[in-house]
Amino acid sequence: MKNMTYKTIQNAITTGIILIFFEMIDLTSTLAIILEKLFTGNSKVKTVTPNYLIAVIGLIVFIAAAAFTNKNLTPASKISLPKKLTAGLIFGLITGGMLALLNIILGNFLNNGVDLRKYLEVLSPDVIRNFLFQKDIQSAVMIFFGTSVAGALAGTLVMHIFQVTGQPAGLWHSIKKSYGSFQQQQHSRRNQLISRSALVLLVIFILILPLIANAYTISVLGLVCIYAILGLGLNLIVGLSGQLVFGYVAFYAIGAYTFALLTAPKPLGIQLSFLPAFVIALVMSGIAGGLVGLPIMNLRGDYLAIVTLGFGEIIRILINSNNLTDFTGGPQGVKNIGQPGQPAFIGNLLGAPLKNNVWFLYLIFAVLFIVIYVVFRLQYSRTGRSWEAMREDETVAQACGVTTSSYKVLAVVIGAVIAGAAGAIYASRNTYTGPGEYVFMVSVNVLAIVVIGGMGSIPGVLLGAFIIKGIPELLRDLESYRMIVFGAMLVIMMVIRPEGLLPVKRRRLSVKPESVESLKENFKS
Amino acid sequence: MMMAKETLYVLEAQHITINFGGLTAVNDVSLQVPFESIISIIGPNGAGKTTFFNCISGFYQIDGGTVLFQERPINGIPTDEIADLGISRTYQNIRLFTNMSVMENVLIGQQPRLHSTCVDTILQTYRNRREEQQSIQKASNLLEFVGLSAYADDLAKNLPYGAQRRLEIARALGNNPHLLLLDEPCAGMNPHETAAMIDLIRTLRSDLKITVVLIEHDMKVVMNISDSILVLDHGEAIANGTPEEIQKNQRVIEAYLGTGTDDLVEKYSQRKKKAAQPIGEE
Repeated sequence: MKNMTYKTIQNAITTGIILIFFEMIDLTSTLAIILEKLFTGNSKVKTVTPNYLIAVIGLIVFIAAAAFTNKNLTPASKISLPKKLTAGLIFGLITGGMLALLNIILGNFLNNGVDLRKYLEVLSPDVIRNFLFQKDIQSAVMIFFGTSVAGALAGTLVMHIFQVTGQPAGLWHSIKKSYGSFQQQQHSRRNQLISRSALVLLVIFILILPLIANAYTISVLGLVCIYAILGLGLNLIVGLSGQLVFGYVAFYAIGAYTFALLTAPKPLGIQLSFLPAFVIALVMSGIAGGLVGLPIMNLRGDYLAIVTLGFGEIIRILINSNNLTDFTGGPQGVKNIGQPGQPAFIGNLLGAPLKNNVWFLYLIFAVLFIVIYVVFRLQYSRTGRSWEAMREDETVAQACGVTTSSYKVLAVVIGAVIAGAAGAIYASRNTYTGPGEYVFMVSVNVLAIVVIGGMGSIPGVLLGAFIIKGIPELLRDLESYRMIVFGAMLVIMMVIRPEGLLPVKRRRLSVKPESVESLKENFKS
Repeated sequence: MMMAKETLYVLEAQHITINFGGLTAVNDVSLQVPFESIISIIGPNGAGKTTFFNCISGFYQIDGGTVLFQERPINGIPTDEIADLGISRTYQNIRLFTNMSVMENVLIGQQPRLHSTCVDTILQTYRNRREEQQSIQKASNLLEFVGLSAYADDLAKNLPYGAQRRLEIARALGNNPHLLLLDEPCAGMNPHETAAMIDLIRTLRSDLKITVVLIEHDMKVVMNISDSILVLDHGEAIANGTPEEIQKNQRVIEAYLGTGTDDLVEKYSQRKKKAAQPIGEE
């Protein structure tokens, strides 16, 4: 029992600290605005309404108390309802007390005319007044205590009801169970049919999407697809062959710049058409991949990461260099990059030619599908298996006959070509490219796509690209908190599912064995 | 391949020496392995058995001596080429590709015998599809041969211990080896599993005509299946001969039981003599 009290206090203090942190970065107000938007359907809300702020605080305490009850006051521990509610009360009082303390201090500063913006930019008088719900300190303190106690009690009670009835958890288990049995019978004809038709429907939906979506969605979708291509390329290097390559952005930059310089009127004035420039961009990034691959053939792990990290920075500094302005456009970048013309038959077929951004999105889809096909083929072949064996145990793979050095270079070259394709498409889409777009963060983002999706898994990379590039766009409302929310999501995901969201599944390969005689034949030849 | 049969030895290790810093781990050890024989290497812990294996299979660069495989020197050749020539090995601490399926592990073993390139793969040429089909069939046959068909589509790490050892052998058989190096194949097995492993090693020779060199601590296994035995102690070869010879060899007994035994044996027999003498007859 003493242990339980201790745990209640500990959890309550943690919740209090999190809430104080949220207030100090003014995240609570943003959440309150989002909540109001959701409730009223009015998307033009700009200022905080105190009631919604109260609701946000109550909701956070509610969730924390429910989670605490779920974890510590389990049915197995046989704690009676009054005791649970007492724990909830203590929980609410402590969090409420911490919040109240913070706001008494802030309120007193406000009343004495101290400008806290000197110390923390967020804490303007308006914001602090919002914290106090536009009321005086005493009533604000009462509200804090009331909200958090009510939230905590409700959380404990709801979780208690859940535990007694066993409902949402039971439902969840039965869903999981039926999904599990579906997976187990995945090879039955009926289930294969279901999953195949689901896939076909998804593809059809994606193909129709550009026609009905607005310009913003199309632009986000294009970016997500370009990052998916990049992710598939890096997935080959990191996920399959297990080589930790950090400067992946370099190949992306080389593809983009080759394409840009070959098609733009300035600085080189070659102005090739789309297809030859695209092919040359692929070849150039492939060559770059080979050149990087050769010296790193015999490097492992950390050393490889450092060398490739350096390479990425070298390329960025080169294209940013003032001295090379005549060749690369320097810090200003390259403007008026060529775009592929739309073939006339599309216009004839549909009655009118597609809008430029829609046509370009289809082009990106086409490249993405080709890349998926190539990676899929490679992954489930002797090449892909050798890469995976290298990732598992390089020494043993070599002793089994895998020529590790050449497979390493092959992985880097193919990965580089894919990055080059993404770069060329990206430069063409934007008709402008500059050194600022090829920073180290791009490599980190792509690596995050691979890790979050699941190393070596193609559907994983597609989902990862959507999460890394798509969700931040959806989280626009949170604006400056995007990265915090995003970081928290990553941490939670890595704790819950370290193998990635859609980890790779092994294929069934076994066939009916023949007699020993055929094996003997094999060994004679 | 038929030419190879006419040579006397599949493997000849001549005066192998390797130093790690100041320590001579293997010192002037020679071993001749005739075709289709089963040779055991034994010795106390730290005698240099695994190091000797690593020298033969190209894991270590040797400091002196030569290794001839089918009369061809193979020192200094990378391990993937050695696998290509037809030497396979297993490991003392099982080293499977744990996150891959059992089938995939065996397929990796066939790497030196496959020829389709990544361009073939992307374009799905006829050559690629046929080769893939054949290699999958062969992998299934190999799994049947070592008795792991039931596990074919499981992850390698989920296999029971004994099955993992068998899987290592199946993987090593993928490149149709002439010589198989087994590093403690029976370590940690119960008597039942050990008997099955002995049978498997015998069939390797009788059915697949593979020459086997193994390191083993279990003397029952060693004395049971070996044609000849090499005994190492402190990196030096102290005896080489048939199981009967080795059992009687004084230096081997010393290496295993220590030098003190001579005195002990003498004392014991004298005491026995004394006890046997009738009282009062002196």
